[in-house]
Amino acid sequence: MVIIKQLIISFFSTIGFSILFGSPTKTLGYNGLTGAIGWTVYFITANIFHSNVSATFLGALTVGLLGELLARKCKKPATIFITSGIIPLVPGAGMYYTMLAIIENDFTMAATKGVETFFVATAIAVGVIISSAFSRSIKRVKLKD
Amino acid sequence: MDEREEVKKLLLLATMAGRIMLKAGAETYRAEDTIIRICKSRKDIRYVDAYVVPTGIFISLEYKGELLSYIKRNKTISIDLNKIDMVNEFSRSFVNSQMSIDDGIKELKRINKTDAYKSKTKSLFGSLGAALFCVLFGGTFLDFISSFIVSLTVLTFINKISKLELTFFVNNLFGSILASGLSFITVMVGLGQNLDKVIIGSIMCLVPGVAITNAIRDTMSGEFLSGLSRGMEAVFSAIAIALGVGIILNFYAKGVF
Repeated sequence: MVIIKQLIISFFSTIGFSILFGSPTKTLGYNGLTGAIGWTVYFITANIFHSNVSATFLGALTVGLLGELLARKCKKPATIFITSGIIPLVPGAGMYYTMLAIIENDFTMAATKGVETFFVATAIAVGVIISSAFSRSIKRVKLKD
Repeated sequence: MDEREEVKKLLLLATMAGRIMLKAGAETYRAEDTIIRICKSRKDIRYVDAYVVPTGIFISLEYKGELLSYIKRNKTISIDLNKIDMVNEFSRSFVNSQMSIDDGIKELKRINKTDAYKSKTKSLFGSLGAALFCVLFGGTFLDFISSFIVSLTVLTFINKISKLELTFFVNNLFGSILASGLSFITVMVGLGQNLDKVIIGSIMCLVPGVAITNAIRDTMSGEFLSGLSRGMEAVFSAIAIALGVGIILNFYAKGVF
């Protein structure tokens, strides 16, 4: 039940951000879907692994693969789906907690949160890169045949 | 002589296409690809090379033993996915058809002027997204409402001051001061319940998440200069936002309010 609620909220949240980024009207539904599925994968795996970084990686990988698939289907650049799809995964909260710890003079906490924020951002990038590298090599192999 | 003018126009067209893409926040390799494809589609141009970094475009092509080149500086990047899509479609149709170069330039000018949504619509839905994000992080319904109000104000404010062409740093700093200050007020009034959730939701529309991810993505695919340039922008936007939040939180911690 919680998962369905998260799925619905992240769907509409991603659509909101897609409009902020000026995404084409026709693809808004797909944008929302990419974001929602990516976030749900993150949410489920974060509960299993108890690790933000690996959960974010899996979420971003899902977003990347979905983005590439939808790009084929709609004949649009994959960036459109990926840019809006990763929004829920972006570590805004991590940045806030890092700053809060610095203000409270708790530098150990600040370092912990700061490093985690950085690795979450890296995990998003790695997830997206791996999926787009895969899709490009598949395309190349197909062209050779 | 006439042909040479045509080639020059083609170069101009390719630069325009690349610049619109770059300004809309496309990856640099996509802009390079578009430029090279457009140039190679016409006349007998054997050699084209394009070098695109987030701050500028450099193209040179060889036509009958003569080198022509074009440099275009780029200063601001604001994400507009619709434009990337439109230029992408335009380049595909330009390469595959016999569209004249003048028509192409006209079409690109039209694309550059179109906006998928009005800025008010963008702010409204952007803040709705931010407010829903606050719920995603465990905010209550009252947090949702206060986050919505705060981010709507912040986005409208950012729209207003971005016309003054202050730098991105000042924009983000003032935006985040406003966001955390207003969040604080909503909590004091009793509308919002969790200060951290409201602030996290409200700063979401400022956070340079896309820039950070694109920077790391560029670096990992071997585009070091683009990665560095985007990364610097992302890091300094993050610092500006953190500073803004920090100033307000510091007042709060010291008991000024």
